[in-house]
Amino acid sequence: MNIQCNELDNLLMEGDAFSMEIAQRHARECAACAEKLASWNDISGTARGMQARWQNDMLWPRISRSMQREQPRMRNWIWQVAAALVLVAGLGGVFWKTNQMNHDPLLTIAAIDQVETAERQHTAAIRNLEKLAGTRLDDPSTPLLVSYKEKLMLLDDAIAECQSAIDHNRANAQVRKQLLAIYSEKQRTLQDVLREDNRVSHQ
Amino acid sequence: MPGETLAVRLPSLTTPDTPKREGAATSEHDVRLARACADGNQDVFAELYRAHSDRMKSIAYNHLGNVSDAEDAIQETFLKIHRAANTYTGEAAFSTWIYRILVNTCYDHLRKRQRRIQETPIDDFITSDRAGSGVDDVKRMALRRMLDELPEQRRSVFTLFEIEGMSHAEIGKILDITEGNSKWILFATKKHLQEQWKTAQ
Repeated sequence: MNIQCNELDNLLMEGDAFSMEIAQRHARECAACAEKLASWNDISGTARGMQARWQNDMLWPRISRSMQREQPRMRNWIWQVAAALVLVAGLGGVFWKTNQMNHDPLLTIAAIDQVETAERQHTAAIRNLEKLAGTRLDDPSTPLLVSYKEKLMLLDDAIAECQSAIDHNRANAQVRKQLLAIYSEKQRTLQDVLREDNRVSHQ
Repeated sequence: MPGETLAVRLPSLTTPDTPKREGAATSEHDVRLARACADGNQDVFAELYRAHSDRMKSIAYNHLGNVSDAEDAIQETFLKIHRAANTYTGEAAFSTWIYRILVNTCYDHLRKRQRRIQETPIDDFITSDRAGSGVDDVKRMALRRMLDELPEQRRSVFTLFEIEGMSHAEIGKILDITEGNSKWILFATKKHLQEQWKTAQ
């Protein structure tokens, strides 16, 4: 098989035994290509002698030690990841359970019913107290009783406002706490009214 | 470099004088090897070392230019094999996978030292059994210097094909390039070296 000089590169790129044989045959009749081919083969021949080999009996023990040192670290790492996963799963479970409880409509309604029952008992007790103090406040005999009467009127207004807010949202815990605080204040004020009336009647 | 001498002994499992240019095939054995490595089986690692360390040394040395760095790269490669063996899927032969890790480790080393190649790369204890091959030490040293100047990929293709006698198919798998690309890179590299070779001679 005869080739032209410009085809030599294609043969060198292929590089297989057949291509190199054709290149060699062409080079026998072409001095320029023979020179190219000689340096090409010289590089390959030189490279084949460049395998680096040396003996170091310490290398494998060194590698082995470094791997053994790493094994506990890898095991620790696996345990750390496993522990972290368990922790995340546990916290997730607790969070989910809490969330479920908070959003359980039956539980929410039951809790509100309980609060409202307590409130009703509380307001009934205060109403009894109010009846006892009512007669003293219709015609207050001292300036202190007058101011108690005004305070009770303000507290009643505040109670009415809270009640209105609760009618819109029964589960509004904040307003219920305010209402409870106002009822407690009303209770203390009515007790003060009765004490003041006692003090005046004993004079 | 006056101290340069070459290969001590012919490798039993690696490159012969005349390269066979065979691509390593994946086998069930490779998958079992990888599993054992993932389990940290030291006997298997010792066997791998016996089978591949000669070629690994040569590849690392021809990338890094000195024994100390080459040994560090080999050690690091074994640690990486240990850590990543469970990711081996058998898409290439286990030996190919090992050489891929080694070459990438060599690249990491080269980048770390920013191509600082020691002036006396060959240690005295590297000896040769190739004295009769007719290849001149001066030529080898000249070629080594030329290789040191090559870009990473070109150096790898040249080293793996011309020095280690691997096939373009295996080189393609190691370097994650096509077989044709490997062939073209080798041709372009040798053309480039040929120009310098003439001057050096």
